[in-house]
Amino acid sequence: MKINEPFVEKILTTFINEELSKFQYKKGILGLSGGLDSSVCASLAAKALKPGNVFALIMPYGKIFSDDVKEAQKLAQALGIKFKIIDITPMVDIYFSNHPTEDRILKGNKMARERMSILYDFSAREKGLILGTSNKTELLLGYGTIHGDMACAINPLGDLYKTQLKQLAKHLGIPEKIRKKTPSAGLWAGQTDEKEIGLDYNKIDKILFHLVDKRMPKKEIIASGFKKTDVDKIISLIKNSEFKRKLPIIPKISARTIGHDFLLPYDWGK
Amino acid sequence: MKVALAQISPHLGDLEKNFELHIKYIKKAKKKNVDLLIFPELSLTGYTLKDLVEEVALPLETNTFINQLKTASCDLSLVFGFVEEKERGLYYNSAAFLAEGKILHVHRKVFLPTFGMFEEGKFYAQGKNFHTFSTPFGNAGMMICRDFLSYGACYLLFAGDSEIIIVISAAPGRGITGKESYETSRMWESMGETISRFSNAFLIYCNRVGFEDGKHFAGGSFIYSPLGQLVAKASYLDKDFLIQEINLNDIREARKKWSYKRDDKPEVILEALKRIIKNYED
Repeated sequence: MKINEPFVEKILTTFINEELSKFQYKKGILGLSGGLDSSVCASLAAKALKPGNVFALIMPYGKIFSDDVKEAQKLAQALGIKFKIIDITPMVDIYFSNHPTEDRILKGNKMARERMSILYDFSAREKGLILGTSNKTELLLGYGTIHGDMACAINPLGDLYKTQLKQLAKHLGIPEKIRKKTPSAGLWAGQTDEKEIGLDYNKIDKILFHLVDKRMPKKEIIASGFKKTDVDKIISLIKNSEFKRKLPIIPKISARTIGHDFLLPYDWGK
Repeated sequence: MKVALAQISPHLGDLEKNFELHIKYIKKAKKKNVDLLIFPELSLTGYTLKDLVEEVALPLETNTFINQLKTASCDLSLVFGFVEEKERGLYYNSAAFLAEGKILHVHRKVFLPTFGMFEEGKFYAQGKNFHTFSTPFGNAGMMICRDFLSYGACYLLFAGDSEIIIVISAAPGRGITGKESYETSRMWESMGETISRFSNAFLIYCNRVGFEDGKHFAGGSFIYSPLGQLVAKASYLDKDFLIQEINLNDIREARKKWSYKRDDKPEVILEALKRIIKNYED
């Protein structure tokens, strides 16, 4: 699973650069949380587009993650990228005051979609494309909010597992404080990915790598030393989140149908 | 003779822009007195065409782009890739060799990759031959990308007496553990080394670069000598224009050292293949 970091950096900066220029954009926009993934994305974008063309939105909910906000701000300053802090508390609170809930996931999803809505607004204001920050681990497990943090124009990180991103982060010189932080979706205080999924990233990524990249049969993965319950859990997470990785399904009733046999390239004419 | 490889990134589905790109490289090559200029697979159209295949398909004999390239080939020989409408409604992933104002040969891709990320079999008709043809420089044979990964196809060009094997490619890279290139680049290089060495022929591989729908074409075009030695290499991932002088006498020198060609037994292979096919189960 080890990656060659300079080579991957070159691929991803080329990708960001090419995709933006194909669609005649100069600027990249992203949500910066102070976590590992968005920090890596910001750093790659700063290298690919020149720092002045990267715009980071730091969007905390009140004061619960004030350390993250500080680190995000520090990183943006160190990279020389533009940034803006927008507190999403008023928009989120007014909604839940009308539709109260104690469900943390509902609240977290609403916050993720609030951030998405701001990102898309700034995408239009700044004429920039939104750079996604979901990694391959999250995407495969469906560990993200559909139309929330998963929403973007292009996603440079989508084919790198979390553990590979950690490698890349070190190579890119992301501060240790960010790299050593316990990964969290940041939906509520004290939430951690590993606690919620019930497995640590090293194990998750190894199982995913065998299942997805190597296409190894379940039996062989278990025989190589992984617990059956862990492998089953991961398979079921993949299975139940396919909808998050696809466009909405359309019933085919005509001769040529979007999503079935209307097959055009994304980069048509570019 | 002087060979040039245009390691370009074509515009997907835009014939006009790609034609201009070809003309630009032809001018560059002419200035450098290039004898043979090679473009990658589907250089006139881009690769990931899907349903656009029929929109960019060209009839070989009547198309103005091809006619202009034919005219350009009065000054230097050209190899390029395009979608060909050979029969009405049948589209081929084709490579043309133009020289002295004429089309010397068109190869239609035989092995259309249709697995995993590839879906060529869905959109193209399949070519049916690997043909050696004569050029101003000697006998040549062409293959398109996946064709070259069939050692049977390579053998047909060897048996047909190709002295120059030209492979045009749009090969996306996969695998990121490598030092400075995708793991799949090594696959093309090992095939290049092997086939050139055991065919005692020049092996010229022209790949493309750039992203299309997230697929990253890996570049790394190369030329191997008839003794299996790397003669020239383009950069990985970046656009490049590789110009290399090659000496066709090297073919004779290689055949003096190694008697692969003299001792080849195509009739034995043919008969053995017939027996294998005869034994197929119904």
